[in-house]
Amino acid sequence: MDILQLIQSNLLTPIVLFFLFGIIAARIKSDLKMPEAISEFLPIYLLAAIGLHGGIEMRKTGFEEMLVPMLVAIGLSLLFTLNHYQILRRLGKFNIFDSYALASTYGAVGAVTFSVGLSFLKNQGVTSEGYLAAILAVLEPVAFILAIFLTNMAVSKQIRTKKQSISDDEELDIGMKQTKTKLSQVLKESITGKAIVILLGSIVIGYIIGKEGFEPISIVFDELFTGAIVIFMIEMGIIAGQRLEDIKKVGIFLTSFSIIIPTINGIIGVLVSTALGLSLGGAVMFGLLLASASFIAAPAVLRHAIPQANPSLYITSALGITFPYNIIVLLPIMFTISTWVHGEEAIDLFNYVAKVFI
Amino acid sequence: MKLYDVKLLTITCEILAQKNVIEILKNHDITGYTTYEVEGNGAKGLRGQGFKNEKNVKVEVVMREEKLSGVVEDISRTLFPDFAIILYVSDVGVVRTEKF
Repeated sequence: MDILQLIQSNLLTPIVLFFLFGIIAARIKSDLKMPEAISEFLPIYLLAAIGLHGGIEMRKTGFEEMLVPMLVAIGLSLLFTLNHYQILRRLGKFNIFDSYALASTYGAVGAVTFSVGLSFLKNQGVTSEGYLAAILAVLEPVAFILAIFLTNMAVSKQIRTKKQSISDDEELDIGMKQTKTKLSQVLKESITGKAIVILLGSIVIGYIIGKEGFEPISIVFDELFTGAIVIFMIEMGIIAGQRLEDIKKVGIFLTSFSIIIPTINGIIGVLVSTALGLSLGGAVMFGLLLASASFIAAPAVLRHAIPQANPSLYITSALGITFPYNIIVLLPIMFTISTWVHGEEAIDLFNYVAKVFI
Repeated sequence: MKLYDVKLLTITCEILAQKNVIEILKNHDITGYTTYEVEGNGAKGLRGQGFKNEKNVKVEVVMREEKLSGVVEDISRTLFPDFAIILYVSDVGVVRTEKF
């Protein structure tokens, strides 16, 4: 299928339509709103479903297969975070704090985006590797930890140069100590945070119960999955719609950053994972992991770890620009690329290109 | 009935600053406080819509006057620059002064 055609048909899926509907509802200042309990419940439900599904699949494939893709994903995520920082700091002229906060927001993964990706694949009748759920869990804190570590380094370096003239060691020590506790606290908090706990817990349970054990609960965790995302999309649309004015404040540079960077990261992800031997659907999900930005976990982590950074920058760009772009445009693009590089046509295409140039 | 004079410190801040506020209270050996989630409008715009992480919270603490300035100083120094936060102090009377 043509990319444009695929984007067009993706636009008319309930997930995207309800998201757009939520934006409209917010724009006309409707009082439509998800009850708080439901909007807190749905991410937990989605993560549980992703984890169970992943655990069951992993029982079939075993752990060995997962190791290389996981390490590659971690490496790429770290590399991308550093790359984002350089772009934001040098080209975008953002301050250190905003640069690191944004860099890690875009290096981190979005669980909601991941859910939408799974249901997109389901729609296309394609499956993906179960261990991607485990990669999602491992990848979640990686970019934040790197960014927080580097921010702390930069800050303590500043303190040190300032202090050199006065040589007041005691205060410096206190500053360094605080930095260290902050990092270990973040590490502990993100590992015991609800997202990772529910995800890892469900993976383990899925692994234990297997396909037969899943049968009695599949109506809740399998058949209701897409419907639950649709309900969540109304909420996401409303929140994104409320933030539409803020996009003007984000500026042209960050707006283009939030579109171009996910595209590059996502396509690299698809190509690398294809080279690693992931399936058509698996490569799309791998790309999506690297393309997605975090907007639920990010504020909670960054507000504590890098309070100096402006939260409206990273929330607005991740939720208001990158998220809709990812689920509406980038998913079909990555799917098409993945189909190319997996299909026989792909080989023909490469041969064709080669012939033209030689 | 005899009422004793103590201070009521009220802090309205973004919910993600709540932990920092309580940490400061703990550093001053204050363990009793009351919090509730609130919404409102201020310098940082309308708050309380959307994600739970973007809500506001109101923290009320009753304390003796001698602890007040230390607490207020710590909050002003560490939280005022980066967080949406306001605080104010009022005089209140309590019956059992030994509780504070």
